[in-house]
Amino acid sequence: MENMAKIVFGFYTLIILGGSLVAVGAKSLVRAMVGLIATLLGVAGMYMLLNAQFMALMQILIYVGAVCVLIFFAIMLTRADAGGEEAASAPLRQNLLALTAVLSVGGILGWLVLTRPLATTGVPVEVSIEKLGLGLLGPYGLAFELISVVLLVSMAGAVLLAWERRNGK
Amino acid sequence: MSALTLYQLVALILLMAGLFGISQRRSLVGMLISVELMLNGAGLSIVAASQLTPANAMLGQLGTLFVMGLAAAEATLVLAIIVVIARRFGTTKTSVISTLKG
Repeated sequence: MENMAKIVFGFYTLIILGGSLVAVGAKSLVRAMVGLIATLLGVAGMYMLLNAQFMALMQILIYVGAVCVLIFFAIMLTRADAGGEEAASAPLRQNLLALTAVLSVGGILGWLVLTRPLATTGVPVEVSIEKLGLGLLGPYGLAFELISVVLLVSMAGAVLLAWERRNGK
Repeated sequence: MSALTLYQLVALILLMAGLFGISQRRSLVGMLISVELMLNGAGLSIVAASQLTPANAMLGQLGTLFVMGLAAAEATLVLAIIVVIARRFGTTKTSVISTLKG
């Protein structure tokens, strides 16, 4: 059982690694989006492995179902050329600077993670969906209401932004 | 190496990929994709830390749920901004969008 978990963990890690490489490096934005979807599915698998099935479901529902469709709309509405807006590769200097930034941040955080291990329980805790729902309605009700307000405002703002110019000039 | 460390390293990979993408991509949609990668890394880190330690597991899962909600709201607004910019400039390349109006 333990070995099986390790194998599955490695499999999901490979999916995440490959997917994020495609998402960051692909010349065509549609391909980058497919890489993003692979990464999101890999993370959903990780949630499943962490015994958080509800989170895995929400990950697929919200990210793959909603956010990726939004990104696809963005790609279509901006009439990205088929060759991809990223067709010409970035200048070497920019790549080097980006790599430096990533390695410095990643190095510091990785060093912190590796040298200061937390006390773990080993086995993931199980939280039932009932508990999550009661938490949303009880102690964390305010955050729940606030996030619905944020979603409403962002939706109204998006409509307003996309509308204004058509009416105006 | 404990399981939690492995999960944190995977989250770190996601963060690094997103950071590299956002500093190297030259179109707004590519940057949006990179931001989503970073937010996913944050979510994975939160859930792993709450599930594998004696911390409050429910709080961790709900926190990640809120991160997802905020990511959805952010993607909606960024989509609208991208659409407006594409109408005004005809492109979403960041090198072209350099006009400020006070």
